[in-house]
Amino acid sequence: MESGEWQLVWFTIWVSLLSTLLLFPFGLAFSWLLARRKWPGKSLVETFISLPLVMPPVATGLILLKLLGRHGPIGGFLHRHFDFDIVFTWRGVLVALCVMSFPLFVLFARVAFEEVNPRLEQIARTLGAGNLRVFLTITLPLASRGIVAGMLLAFARALGEFGATIMVAGNIPGHTSTLSLAIFQSVQLGHDSTAFRLLGISVILAFTAVWSSQWLVRSKRK
Amino acid sequence: MSLLLRNVSLPLAPFVLDVNAELRGPVTVIFGPSGSGKTSLLDLVAGLRPARSALIQLNDRVLTDTSTGVCVPTRHRSIGYVPQDLALFPHLSVRQNLLYGSKTTNETNHLFSFEHVLEVLEIQPLVQRGVTELSGGERQRVALARALLASPQLLLLDEPLASLDLSLKARIIPYLARVRDEFHIPMLYVTHDRHELLALADEMLVLFDGKVAQAGPIREVFNRPANLAVAGLLTIETIQPGRVINAAGELVTVVVGPVFLFSNQQSLPANTTDTYVCIRAEDVVLLKGAESASSARNRLPARVQSLAQEGPHVRVELDCGFILTALVTKQACEEMALRPGDAVTALVKAPHIHLIPR
Repeated sequence: MESGEWQLVWFTIWVSLLSTLLLFPFGLAFSWLLARRKWPGKSLVETFISLPLVMPPVATGLILLKLLGRHGPIGGFLHRHFDFDIVFTWRGVLVALCVMSFPLFVLFARVAFEEVNPRLEQIARTLGAGNLRVFLTITLPLASRGIVAGMLLAFARALGEFGATIMVAGNIPGHTSTLSLAIFQSVQLGHDSTAFRLLGISVILAFTAVWSSQWLVRSKRK
Repeated sequence: MSLLLRNVSLPLAPFVLDVNAELRGPVTVIFGPSGSGKTSLLDLVAGLRPARSALIQLNDRVLTDTSTGVCVPTRHRSIGYVPQDLALFPHLSVRQNLLYGSKTTNETNHLFSFEHVLEVLEIQPLVQRGVTELSGGERQRVALARALLASPQLLLLDEPLASLDLSLKARIIPYLARVRDEFHIPMLYVTHDRHELLALADEMLVLFDGKVAQAGPIREVFNRPANLAVAGLLTIETIQPGRVINAAGELVTVVVGPVFLFSNQQSLPANTTDTYVCIRAEDVVLLKGAESASSARNRLPARVQSLAQEGPHVRVELDCGFILTALVTKQACEEMALRPGDAVTALVKAPHIHLIPR
């Protein structure tokens, strides 16, 4: 493999990992709120957050582009006040991956929280534990396998993201190009051997992430 | 101990839980059929669910008062809770479970020291194990120890023995009795098992569809069930319809089929004619052979219909003009050589004939 291809692989792994770590605290809090609390508008918010799972990724990407571009409400504000750009930079890739992986993580983490018997949390309270201690010592450890499985799948989803990323970040070699974008470009240019090499790496990465996640879920059920 | 439950109200699916009671016994059993609101009542006392209205006061401390907005958080209530499924934390070892709520670091009460609690419940050998490696009885004792180590002022036990078989139950009950006698913690104990009730409790509160059907000392409730539903729930063996024919004197005369019975129940409403007659099997004494004088006011010639062994006892079905059940020890049954068809005399004292107006 050429050094450019290695750079591509590492960038893809790095940005996917970063997006997973970035969405983790928000996803965790949101999943817990969905699993354990009743609040007005819950089902609306839940549906809204799940949209990227079912909408065409390009459509999601277009929404992000309009919001985060220099003429968009968020992107415009950041550009004017902080000279900070998201669109067509690696930060655009990061945002696209976060938005696309978030609902998948929430789906898994929510189920993991729901499977924790609330009676255990209640009894912990009778033993003098406050909300934070109950969460850290009872809820989180018992839901941990489902949460880690969700993270692995979110990571795998980020590795293969294409539609939203190309809309928000374009395909700038060495800057915003990821594995899936590079495979598409190689095929377009007729560089089949490069495409197949990158395809092989994609398969290995995705297989490892999905298999680990399934192993975790299976061992949880035992 | 004084646990005041005033205007406690909580809507549940088929009815509204509505309780007014003041519990003073060291061990109070909440007795009632499944789905009568027993667990919900414990949850309200522990602060695990909000009441629609309630004043819950433990000794001098108000735990919940919806009229003033007081609701002490569960973690500050000092109330130990052993739920039906025990709720041992499956990812923690027995030791970690036991120490989860332990307050022995700022120890003011040696009674609840780790060593003492483990010694009373005999769980020292289990401490290093995982929770999933425990047997049913061991899990029960660990759950109890975990609740005790948090130095509670009140212990709530929700059918803690429900999942155990009879022989295991018999082995665990003495541990509960030891907890009652050693630690002097008042207990609210939910059960619908008569043996647990009689072995442990001083007073009881009978719940039916969320309402208090009767409350008072155990003896009082068993001897004087408030209505037919309570009598049925307490599995009082003989309940027969009867008719009062004389209530003028100190003894009330009731006729059941062809048999005349005498009760000294004074609390019967005036002009009551139709009643149910309740007789507990353990209050029936059997005589076989030569007649002799007896203080019992009710001497009923009877014939043995059937015998059935029940642990250390034998349940004897008698025909004395109506079906009467007696409970005698196995030893007595062997000495009397009781067989179906034998002629016997059943003795029942007048205070043991309880009348419930129909």
